[in-house]
Amino acid sequence: MPSEAIQTTEPTTFRNGVDRRTFLKVVAQAAAAIGLSGTMAAKFISAVEKGARPSVIWLHFQECTGCTESLLRTSHPGLAEVLFDLISLDYHETLMAAAGHQAEEALEAAIKKNAGKFILVVEGAVPTKENGIYMQIANKTGVDMLKHVAGSAGAIVAIGSCASWGGIPSADPNPTGARGIGEILPGKVIVTLPGCPANPYILLGTLLQYVALGKLPELDELGRPKFAYGRTIHEHCPRRAHFDSGRFAEAFGDEGHRLGYCLYKLGCKGPSTHASCSVLHFCEVVDAWPIGLGHPCFGCTEQSVAFRIPMLKPAEIMRPTPPSTYAPVTSPQGYVSPIATGVGGLIGGAILGAGWMAAKKIAQKEETAPATTEKKGDNSGTSSKE
Amino acid sequence: MDVNRRDVLKALMGGSAMAAVAATGVPMAKAGKPESFEVAPDALGLMYDATKCIGCRACMPACQNANGLKPDTGGSGGLYMQPDSLNAHTKNLITLYTAADGHERSFMKKQCMHCVDPACVSGCPMEALHKEPHGVVGWDPTLCIGCRYCQVACPFNVPKFEWDKVNPKIVKCELCRHIVGTSVTEPACTKVCPTHAVIYGKRTDLLAEAHRRIKEKPGFYFEDRVYGEVEAGGTQCLVLSHVDYTNLGLPKLGKESAPAQERRVNDFVYRGFLTPVVVYGGIVAIVRNRWKEHLKHGDKPGSGEVHEEEKRA
Amino acid sequence: MTEHWERCVRLKEPLKTKPFLIVAGLAALGLLLGLYREFTGLGYVTGLNDGYSWGLFKNWNVTALTALGSGGYAVAVLAWIFNEKRFHPIMRTAVLTSLVGYGTGMMALGFDVGRPWNFVWLGDPRTWNHYSVLWEVAVCMTAYFMLALDVENMPPFLEKLYRSEDPEKREKALKIFRFMQKTFPFGIALAFVLPSMHQSSLGSLMYLAGTRVHPLWQTAWLPLLYLVMAYILGFACVLLVLALSSYAWDLGWDADILGRLAQVMSWTSLVWIAIRIGDLVHRDVLGMAFAFDKFSLYFLLETALILVPALMLLSKAQREAPGSLFRLTFLTVLGGLFYRFTPTTLAFSPLGDYRYFPSVAEILMSIGFTALAVAVFLYAVKTFAILPASRGKIAAEEAMRPFDTL
Repeated sequence: MPSEAIQTTEPTTFRNGVDRRTFLKVVAQAAAAIGLSGTMAAKFISAVEKGARPSVIWLHFQECTGCTESLLRTSHPGLAEVLFDLISLDYHETLMAAAGHQAEEALEAAIKKNAGKFILVVEGAVPTKENGIYMQIANKTGVDMLKHVAGSAGAIVAIGSCASWGGIPSADPNPTGARGIGEILPGKVIVTLPGCPANPYILLGTLLQYVALGKLPELDELGRPKFAYGRTIHEHCPRRAHFDSGRFAEAFGDEGHRLGYCLYKLGCKGPSTHASCSVLHFCEVVDAWPIGLGHPCFGCTEQSVAFRIPMLKPAEIMRPTPPSTYAPVTSPQGYVSPIATGVGGLIGGAILGAGWMAAKKIAQKEETAPATTEKKGDNSGTSSKE
Repeated sequence: MDVNRRDVLKALMGGSAMAAVAATGVPMAKAGKPESFEVAPDALGLMYDATKCIGCRACMPACQNANGLKPDTGGSGGLYMQPDSLNAHTKNLITLYTAADGHERSFMKKQCMHCVDPACVSGCPMEALHKEPHGVVGWDPTLCIGCRYCQVACPFNVPKFEWDKVNPKIVKCELCRHIVGTSVTEPACTKVCPTHAVIYGKRTDLLAEAHRRIKEKPGFYFEDRVYGEVEAGGTQCLVLSHVDYTNLGLPKLGKESAPAQERRVNDFVYRGFLTPVVVYGGIVAIVRNRWKEHLKHGDKPGSGEVHEEEKRA
Repeated sequence: MTEHWERCVRLKEPLKTKPFLIVAGLAALGLLLGLYREFTGLGYVTGLNDGYSWGLFKNWNVTALTALGSGGYAVAVLAWIFNEKRFHPIMRTAVLTSLVGYGTGMMALGFDVGRPWNFVWLGDPRTWNHYSVLWEVAVCMTAYFMLALDVENMPPFLEKLYRSEDPEKREKALKIFRFMQKTFPFGIALAFVLPSMHQSSLGSLMYLAGTRVHPLWQTAWLPLLYLVMAYILGFACVLLVLALSSYAWDLGWDADILGRLAQVMSWTSLVWIAIRIGDLVHRDVLGMAFAFDKFSLYFLLETALILVPALMLLSKAQREAPGSLFRLTFLTVLGGLFYRFTPTTLAFSPLGDYRYFPSVAEILMSIGFTALAVAVFLYAVKTFAILPASRGKIAAEEAMRPFDTL
């Protein structure tokens, strides 16, 4: 459908019934969604008007299609605006009408036409065990497909935890050898957007920034955009004041839980999870995110947390900060061991006693005629010698 | 038996022995460097105005991050950064003072005071603790022997020791000297302070600012003075507060620093190593006569004679 | 009844007696714990903390033991400067106590410092901080141990070498002995100046702590007080060692030497008390001594332990009775050792609420190092001619003393 209805080489043609004003409104919303200023939005518009609707090729591997599904729950911009006005989605197995050989031909055509310029979005992990036979399309393994398409891509985005680091297919015992695409494509710059699902606005923001400014957002050491993954949930959680003051829900449904207290003791992995869920809620409903709904975060973006650490096990606090109480100006320090005190006392007593005994014995010996009884080596009070 | 030559030889040997003694003392004969005990003209420091501090403690995580320290979460079972004093993981601490009747409160920021004439620098045998440019007190791991004299000497109880390590360090604020001037222009704590309760600058400017604030609100700040201006010879980290400074854990100190007092006593006794040399020469002179006599009348084997000592008085 | 010590003799007792084995066992335990400390860290074997960072090791093994080990220095002053020739027979015992006191003290220091590998810088004058009294103590003690103490303790060893069958060894012993004879005054002057410097510097150490030491102890006269106390403890230690050795090995009791030593010790104690009280009056803090708080009681106890024996030892009768001599000297030692702990620990108040007591491992290590000193002493007196004895007790041919004049 998309490759037929919209020609990517021609200047943008507005859809029937959409005037320029509506288009500008859409663009402004889109820009605002990712925090771009008005000037940036203008840049974006001129870029789009010049026909720079980027080509996007979307590959699916071991995934649940949740990340694609989450894109349906956006409205600024909505998926329709995205597909028809902002990008050119040239290959997407869920959304495209074509199937079979037609689909494969469309893929190859898109690669050839936009070589070096298209954005490759990958959803799902890639199995590697036994030469990757656990995921094949048209007799091609996922590994081969990925390497083939990525070879000509202008930018690579891994959406969702599966593509970022392996996700749920990689949970122990990982029978298929599922890996994130970064391990299949070493050395390439990959924008990873972990999450299960990833918040769709992070993808939109990244794509729109790339289109408007021609560059990717600032990435951290794992390739995650800092604007979305720079903080842990804990560092931006609306329940943080409860944590700092020591107010915790101890069991589901108890008083604390109903009062909205911190869920740390119920195993919330917010302190060790980098994500933006606490500000970018889901489904565009306020508080529609795990903690907002009263369930502890399980760390879906973090490879060391999700599907590894049990749900109810308390998280490691990555960057601890002070609580809401203060240390007094002086507090007691130092530990006095009662056993040591006892030992010290005994030794002190022994020394005093030994000294006294020595004095007595010396008096006896020296004040009378020198005794012949051998009191050899009687070093009572040796320790007092020195 | 050329007495003259023998005397000359003895004198020479005595001289070389004295030289050996003096060698340990030659550094002591070096004239003191008064300029290193006075305020450097470009001395930098902090000024903490407790009346502006809101106790947000942004400075504490900032300090941890800038210095690569592991936060002290031990007291809270891993939940919070909750040190109750400066320690081997904490170079900067915000404490709260509350009067017994609850009517008086003040926050207090504890870190190294970067004294003008520090006791720790004076006491450190190997100059591991030393004054860096701008008067910052820095610690050098390559020289420190871990004697912990600095902990005994510091009147503010600042240097902390890593007791549980095989390679222990002395841990204290060093005004972020490892990054100031290279990647940043001010220490981490002043950078993040939202109310500018703690500010960084030249000591002369900070003092001027402190006096300006005091003048602006007479009677507001405790005793209308800034702590650190003259205490213990002056410190480069100053404190302004509306409550008594001793309540904030700042000790009452006189104008003269302890190192200055000690230098005075040492100079009086040693006089640039003159005293030991003179005493040494005197002892040699006294003993030499007795030794000669001893050689003459010394016990020979089998001679049943023993010195008849002078009788007890 | 009273003997007359004239010569130094080697004790012909077997080395491996029960007390020696006990002491050696304690020493081995202490060294083992020291090894454990090297692999784990000070926090694991001591109760030290940031408020009381100097504890049992520094105050007992380094400061107190070297003060007790000032016997060699103090008795040498009497023998050579005040020309009290009667003390020559006990010089070897005195310098031996110094050797073992300083030796184990410096060993303990090596275990106490946190970063001992940087000790090498003590040899590089460019890194020296000559304003630091601790630097002075370190350099001076090392110089004293290496230049003076080991030389002073050489004669008994040289004698044994001289008795060997090998003519080469005899020749070497004689050569060294001749050299020592030539340079004796210069050597002993060094053995006077160096300990004067570092024993007084040990006092200056706490002067830098300023107001953190209670005013009853903090004074500019600390160096002098520590120096005089070193004399007192030196005399006392030699007295106790001689008394116990005499008791244990039937050396007899030389009332002349021991009585005179006790008399000098008592005068020195009175001088110390005078300086102490004079200083308190001058600084106008004598009133604090009678406040009957914790510090006042420490002060009164410490002063009593020095003053009362000193006064009693002024009486000839007390000096002549071995039992009371020992008892009074023992009390003086307790007082002097208490004084080592007051400015450093008991009357030291770090800013904040700190408490400190040595841990069990710390106590055992401290005992271990002290036991090591005793063990070395026992070994030395049974191997070399060190202890004094009278001619009547020991047959002349058993007296091993070919070198008459040292």
